[in-house]
Amino acid sequence: MTSNNCRCVVSGLGVICAVGNNVEETWKNALNSVSGIHKTTSLDTKNCYADLAAEVNCDTLDDIECPDEKDRASKLCIKAAKEALNDAGLGDFADSSRVSVIIGSCVGGVLSIEKYHCGGKDVNEIPKMPIAAIASQVAESCHAGGIVTNVGNACAAGTISIALACDLIRAGKADVVIAGGSDSFASVPYSGFLSLHALDENGCSPFNHCNGITLGEGAGIVIVESLEHAEKRNAKRYCEVLGAGVTSDAHHITAPREDGICLLEAMDRAVKNSGIKKSDIGYLNAHGTGTGKNDNAEINAFHKFFDEENPTLSVSSTKVMTGHCLGAAGAIEAVFSIKALTTNTVLPTLHYTAEDSEALKAKAGQMDYVQNTPRAKELECVMSNNVAFGGTNASIVFSKKPGDVQSQVAKDKKIAVTGVGIVSPLGNSKEAYLESVKNGKLPESASICSTVTNDDYKELGIKMAFYRKLDNLGQLQTVSGMRALKDANLTVSEDNAKQIGIIVGTSEGGLGATYDFQELITEAGNAGGSAFKFPHTVYNAAGGYLSILSGIKGYGVTITTGPLSGLDSIGYSMNVIHDGQEQVMMATGTDENLPIITEFCQKLNVAADKVVEPYSNSNGFVVGDGSVSIIIENEDYAKARGAKVYCYALGYGNGRKNVKFGHISGSDEALDLAIKEALNDAGIGIDEIDAVCGFANGLKKLDDIEKGAYARVFGDKLASIPLFQVKERVGEGRAASAALAAAEAALMLGGELSEENAYFVANDGSVSKKKVATAGFKKILVTSFATGGSYSAVVFGK
Amino acid sequence: MANEEIKSKLKAFFMSDLGVDGDVLNYDTPLFGEEIGLDSVDSLEIISFVDDNFGVSMTGVAKENFQSIDTIAAFIEKNKA
Repeated sequence: MTSNNCRCVVSGLGVICAVGNNVEETWKNALNSVSGIHKTTSLDTKNCYADLAAEVNCDTLDDIECPDEKDRASKLCIKAAKEALNDAGLGDFADSSRVSVIIGSCVGGVLSIEKYHCGGKDVNEIPKMPIAAIASQVAESCHAGGIVTNVGNACAAGTISIALACDLIRAGKADVVIAGGSDSFASVPYSGFLSLHALDENGCSPFNHCNGITLGEGAGIVIVESLEHAEKRNAKRYCEVLGAGVTSDAHHITAPREDGICLLEAMDRAVKNSGIKKSDIGYLNAHGTGTGKNDNAEINAFHKFFDEENPTLSVSSTKVMTGHCLGAAGAIEAVFSIKALTTNTVLPTLHYTAEDSEALKAKAGQMDYVQNTPRAKELECVMSNNVAFGGTNASIVFSKKPGDVQSQVAKDKKIAVTGVGIVSPLGNSKEAYLESVKNGKLPESASICSTVTNDDYKELGIKMAFYRKLDNLGQLQTVSGMRALKDANLTVSEDNAKQIGIIVGTSEGGLGATYDFQELITEAGNAGGSAFKFPHTVYNAAGGYLSILSGIKGYGVTITTGPLSGLDSIGYSMNVIHDGQEQVMMATGTDENLPIITEFCQKLNVAADKVVEPYSNSNGFVVGDGSVSIIIENEDYAKARGAKVYCYALGYGNGRKNVKFGHISGSDEALDLAIKEALNDAGIGIDEIDAVCGFANGLKKLDDIEKGAYARVFGDKLASIPLFQVKERVGEGRAASAALAAAEAALMLGGELSEENAYFVANDGSVSKKKVATAGFKKILVTSFATGGSYSAVVFGK
Repeated sequence: MANEEIKSKLKAFFMSDLGVDGDVLNYDTPLFGEEIGLDSVDSLEIISFVDDNFGVSMTGVAKENFQSIDTIAAFIEKNKA
């Protein structure tokens, strides 16, 4: 049985969608088979072949603090979060570090992008645009002071958020996690799915007519709590969250594998990680979008997985009521699944005629596709599945019983850093970066960017048939990822493809591509979207392309929390290895500097007008970009394959003090906390740290926070601690710079970067710079930040 | 519009909108073969481009018409008003 410290329980639920504005209303309408799909009232449908949507109708979304500072996606999410917290008997957390927020989203603040582009480029819209705003603003609304992150895996993001919540609790990083997803209905996804001919003009009909999806919107929140915490406060307990499985198709950027084998692998992992039998599952809330490709792949996967041991499993898709709510889908469906479990009621897929039912029998075999009206059924465990663009598959199990969940089974294994791939404005390889350091190369202007060329593709053997599809972000990520694999001398084969995972960290992800798409449809109308460009708008497209190219089929998650995402990718990857989920992880940081990104920085008054260096007390920074991929692996695995080891990843930590998203001032001490947590996780003291790879970029208020925290944690010793700042060369590349700082630490510890510029902060706060030799370093601290008041730290050691 | 002009317009579209390298794209190069690697998403873009620029609908048209720039141009030629 699951040990008590691995048990995660659900103590509160919240939802808002086209079917209802809270759990009670939504569930009541669902039981009455009410669909929220209607003719859209909010978008221009001129020349569009489909005009249905499942829109939220709620006039209290603005009843929150500072509604003008929040996108509709944040408003929906805060409403659902408030309901869930209320339901759980929880309120304000006073910045407690034990309370986390993890929110999934696909298109995030896309309505604010539209408003900015079409409404006079109002600077106030900019901070509302990235997905990262959502979790940050939810945390701000209830003062959650733990790990705050967003999952950007498009339509599987909601499910992955809940899975990640449990991983963090089981790793001892949190007691309570506000987990879920949120997305709003908007022109970009509407036009995008139209261009793919993926909308059903008659309304989606999952597992039935399968002519396409109908978009919805909304948010779902599940309060996940450690059993210990819930027991201590005598909390309501809906059910347990058991195991989950996340895999990558490595197949196509929008279409699922026809054979469904990687979805099957996700379900298999979910069942195994839960420690249950397949036959324990009584109901499966399918992804069931209503497209032929999805539904047939799912039906295939269900047959292969369940036919022998659980042939009469009940299955349905609730999207025929809620529409496809993208990043919120998994979260809303988790709420449905949990309500189904606790009330022993399976919700149906609607709109089947007698003829349809007959036709389904041929496809479904013995499996019980519940149709039209709810079915009473005694349930022990339920499963919820979601799949996404980029080839992500996610499956999770909710249960009345504790199951047999194992976690941190490989916690005693050391994690080796074995490969580094660097794409930066200085060049597209580790060698180019090292050469630039040696030559003291600095930025040539205040806005610099990386440029991938055909030479990179040629060298890496990437064919035109593949690279022609990539957008800029995808180019950066695939080149750095493939270089990292090469550097680690790691060949992906059928034998190890499932043992390798990828976590992409990105601050803005597909924001630039989304803006590009918005520009296109503002000009051409919603009927004029591009099927070629639309896939790039999802934040996990870059990671998806890397999985397709490399053949990596294991864990695949994109996190988006601001610059620190490039460090959290390492921390979460360590956790995936410690959990025994994968042997090898590629942790990346990737962000791009398109002209629109520089425009945003300039409008926000954070872009420097000339080249500045860290600690220069400037009013701005050099805008940069890049992609850095780092391979980390279970030491035993690395040794067995004779890998060269740069260093070891010893620990990671996070800290948060809530300030408004888009701001940092006032959050200073959260960095101290992140550093202490990382040291604690590594089991070492501050005295063992020989150097720091930090995040200073020249912007005075940011650099001062960094200096201040180091002065507090290092005390007098700070004056002799070399601080390395990669942004002096590559500018503020957000997640790419965070990962580059980590890569630089690995290169120093691995003996490949013997000399580097270091900044020294004297006791009076003054800063000096000199070249130092790195050979004597044994342990290096790496730090990063995000606006909203979050900080992360990682410790690497020899 | 002369056949040559249609072909040249199509080639420019493949290069600018579908990321195809012009050096390897001849009028008879198989578009859905290994080298160019177009797929179903790209065919949606081709249909939309042909409709917008030549007023010819290729929705639901047999696969062989999409084989190369030559075959698409021939289809346009044959079906334009």
